[in-house]
Amino acid sequence: MIVGEQKPLEEIKAKVSGYSRILILGCGTCVKTCFAGGEDEVATLASALRLSFKLEGRTIQIEEQTVERQCEDEFIKEAATNIAEVKAVVSLACGAGVQMVASRFPQVTLLPGVNTTFIGILEKAGLFTEKCLGCGNCIVDLFGGICPIGRCAKRLFHGPCGGSSKGKCEVNPDTDCAWQLIVDHAAATGQLDKLAEYVPPKDWRTSQAGGPRKVHREDHEI
Amino acid sequence: MVMEKVHRMSNKGGAAHTRKPRITVFHCFTALEDTASLEGGDYEIQGIKMPCSSISREVFLLRAFEAGADAVVVLVCPVNSCRYVQGNIRTEKRVTRVKKILDEIGIGGHRLNMFNIVQGDEAAARRIIEQTVAELGEWGLSAAA
Repeated sequence: MIVGEQKPLEEIKAKVSGYSRILILGCGTCVKTCFAGGEDEVATLASALRLSFKLEGRTIQIEEQTVERQCEDEFIKEAATNIAEVKAVVSLACGAGVQMVASRFPQVTLLPGVNTTFIGILEKAGLFTEKCLGCGNCIVDLFGGICPIGRCAKRLFHGPCGGSSKGKCEVNPDTDCAWQLIVDHAAATGQLDKLAEYVPPKDWRTSQAGGPRKVHREDHEI
Repeated sequence: MVMEKVHRMSNKGGAAHTRKPRITVFHCFTALEDTASLEGGDYEIQGIKMPCSSISREVFLLRAFEAGADAVVVLVCPVNSCRYVQGNIRTEKRVTRVKKILDEIGIGGHRLNMFNIVQGDEAAARRIIEQTVAELGEWGLSAAA
């Protein structure tokens, strides 16, 4: 999933302070799962903003809505009625959802309320960790299902850097060394010889380095 | 007497308050059957009865302040005594988070507190309310109420 974090309340409040009526638009998919922008977070943010403005003697009308996915037109069109009533929308979606709404409703000011952080997993309750950089050419089969691009701070393909200590990364000691995990997995499964195989330099043109990417599925085009 | 003190504190900022302090009590019905025994003359109690305290989502606690609470009390079962195993632990984490939000807003996280009470200990619940009313004497009424 895409993992994000809600922006600090103070930052969101500063963004909306010039408006008398806003819509806080949540997204019911990835950012809901990581507690950044689902229905609950929309309601909590709206309440916190109302209370905060009330203490300053101001009233701001806040509409609340959460759609299934802000990155799909099919879902965000459900927000058209509410959006038509406001000058600004605080989107609690990831960067893709924010831009989709901005593109669909150019008449309103779109204010991002979430910082999109990474593609990751729910490792355990309350902990999300990064696993994938979206390079466009998955090769985790060569590394025992552990990606040295998304999980190694130095994105090394040909073995550990030598800086790790006790299985932890020297860049961030809270993070497992990806190459320690790769070697441990290979040893445990009797595939150490596989790591001796030559891996050619990666073609980064499939990554974001090649500019914005597209996936075109003609079989789904109508 | 407590009410007079609350009003004196609240009047520091300007407009006079003539109402009683309001306390919203979120409680699971295992910890406390209802809030009837907590009602008194010097304050208003709004009881929110739940099958488990963990149902008290962040927004419910905030909306209690929007609805006019000067203080919010959450009564939960003792640690390791929750019928749903972790309900009181989840509640504590939510209360901690909402206290931070209240601090950030300026209402003050001290107006929201969670207490563990043994099932049916109405005397303990009453002492908690009396303590909260006394503290409201120091804090004054909420400017957001």
